[in-house]
Amino acid sequence: MLKYLPYVRKNVFGHRVRTAMTVAGTALLMFLFLFVSSIQEGLDRLLSGRDDRLIVYQAYRFCPPSSQLPVFYDEAIRDVPGVRDVLPVKVVVSNCRASLDTVVFNGVDPKRLPAARGHFRFLSGDWSSFQARTDAALVGRRIAERRGLRPGQSFTAAGVTVQVAGVFASDATGEENVIYTHLPLLLNQKHHEEFHVTLFEVALADPDQAESVAAAIDAKVKSRFQVPTETKPQKAHYQTALADLLDLIGMTRWLGLVCVGVVLVLVANSVVMAAQDRVKEHAVLQTIGYSGPRIFSLMLAESCLIAVVGGLVGIAGCVAWLVWQPLAISTEGVSIDFVASPQLATWGLGLSLVVGLLAGLVPAWQAGRAEIVTSLR
Amino acid sequence: MKNAEGLSMPLVEIENLTKSYRKGGQEVPVLRDLALSVDAGEFVALMGPSGSGKTTLLNLIAGIDRPTAGVVRVAGQDLGKLSRNRLAAWRANHVGYIFQLYNLIPVLSAFENVELPLLLLPLSRAERRKRVQVALDAVGLLDRHDHYPRQLSGGQEQRVAIARAIVADPTLLVADEPTGDLDADTAGQTLLLLKRLNKEMGKTLVMVTHDPKAASAARRLVRLEKGRLVDDVVPLASANGHSPRARATIGE
Repeated sequence: MLKYLPYVRKNVFGHRVRTAMTVAGTALLMFLFLFVSSIQEGLDRLLSGRDDRLIVYQAYRFCPPSSQLPVFYDEAIRDVPGVRDVLPVKVVVSNCRASLDTVVFNGVDPKRLPAARGHFRFLSGDWSSFQARTDAALVGRRIAERRGLRPGQSFTAAGVTVQVAGVFASDATGEENVIYTHLPLLLNQKHHEEFHVTLFEVALADPDQAESVAAAIDAKVKSRFQVPTETKPQKAHYQTALADLLDLIGMTRWLGLVCVGVVLVLVANSVVMAAQDRVKEHAVLQTIGYSGPRIFSLMLAESCLIAVVGGLVGIAGCVAWLVWQPLAISTEGVSIDFVASPQLATWGLGLSLVVGLLAGLVPAWQAGRAEIVTSLR
Repeated sequence: MKNAEGLSMPLVEIENLTKSYRKGGQEVPVLRDLALSVDAGEFVALMGPSGSGKTTLLNLIAGIDRPTAGVVRVAGQDLGKLSRNRLAAWRANHVGYIFQLYNLIPVLSAFENVELPLLLLPLSRAERRKRVQVALDAVGLLDRHDHYPRQLSGGQEQRVAIARAIVADPTLLVADEPTGDLDADTAGQTLLLLKRLNKEMGKTLVMVTHDPKAASAARRLVRLEKGRLVDDVVPLASANGHSPRARATIGE
């Protein structure tokens, strides 16, 4: 089949305007398909994997500013059997609603953070530079890239001014969109919230005991204190926070499928036009010995080439854009990255090929079945 | 061509050939009970008025159309017995077709156009290249191998089409009004080329033409009228031109 490639290539790219239009349309649609799929991929990553943390939140509260738990709960939670460690976190967000550019500050005890986030890989700075200043901030890689933040730089958002002490990368999805700073810095922002944090992050001794430990924490708080808590595994907490977005993201899956459908129609239209324009050419090929199946496969190859080139351009464009401009959609302090992974890009390219095959089937079959004499006339 | 007993066989044998088309729910006969044989090495001109069935006969000999009844046997193969795909493979090996309007593929260069039939044969790239060069050299267009059809004159396009027809060394060359779209000078050169292919390379040629001049290049004239063979002569050229019967057949 390779020896026919020049024929296929020249037929596709010899009709420049038509091919350019089809490739451009396919590229735009595959860009859109990959873009919406990258949200789904980010969500899947956020919600998949083993849950080894619990989030203790104020009961019946959702947005971070509305959850206010006294700092002294720390000791009570720590004593619950099955709890390995507790990290009080004050969450301050620039926007509690769904937004593409939310800044999420997590105020933590700088001395306890290294134990809780030992998996961080520092791209710049280190723990000591973070601990050295009371307004120091460790910035997640994705938000650093999005906002162009570098070490030594001063940065203000949501009424909080910090100085970047370092930039970290993390394999845990969502963490790279967070800025960690000193807990007292955030507690001092509002006078009436001095002794309250937003949540407690609980490290479990045994992740399989998550449900029972969560129940034990809530029961203990309820029996001893006035403000009740609702404790959930971290992924379940994310799901609750993202509840409104989940439906919308589910809708984007359909949008992606519509894009693929439109690509199918677009490429099929282009191949039909090519086949109709070249009825005589195919008859000539048949006259010199090309069989129906051979012409069928040549037309199918043209269809696939158009779809794959368009898909490649669109997918490469989307990947490049998301690398150049990392995006995350956040709500209630939880962020979903737009992840255009190599697997997703490969899947998109494979889908382009399948669309090319499907789009070319009918016109290629018609071209291969045409009567020579009638076509020559 | 020789049969199993070693006796000489015609290259093209047509027996009781009938071809009709359906038009408006009616059978329209084009060829009626026709018989013809062409020996290897002959150059036959098929003549006749429009609608006489000469192109249909040519298409049946070339295996691009199917008879309604009768037998078309070329190089010992009854074409009616071949499936669609086998017939295509047979054409690739046995027939070179020259069209009136050249029918080159516009997006391919002269070289690539000529190479097209060879892609179907089990040849290496180097072998294909060599054979294309030989074919283009035979039609005097080796230096134009990288030109596209739009960059060639009508005569040059037809020569490329002839190169495409001969490149796979087919058993039979068929030509449908090969000079019909050319000016007199270019037509003359094309006919000379066809004569050379017949004389020097021993190619069997069956050519449909309206043009008496073109017909005079052939060594045998066959005249059709209303789907029947009405005359079959060998125009013996003399100092004064063709024989009287040949002159009558070609309409001089």
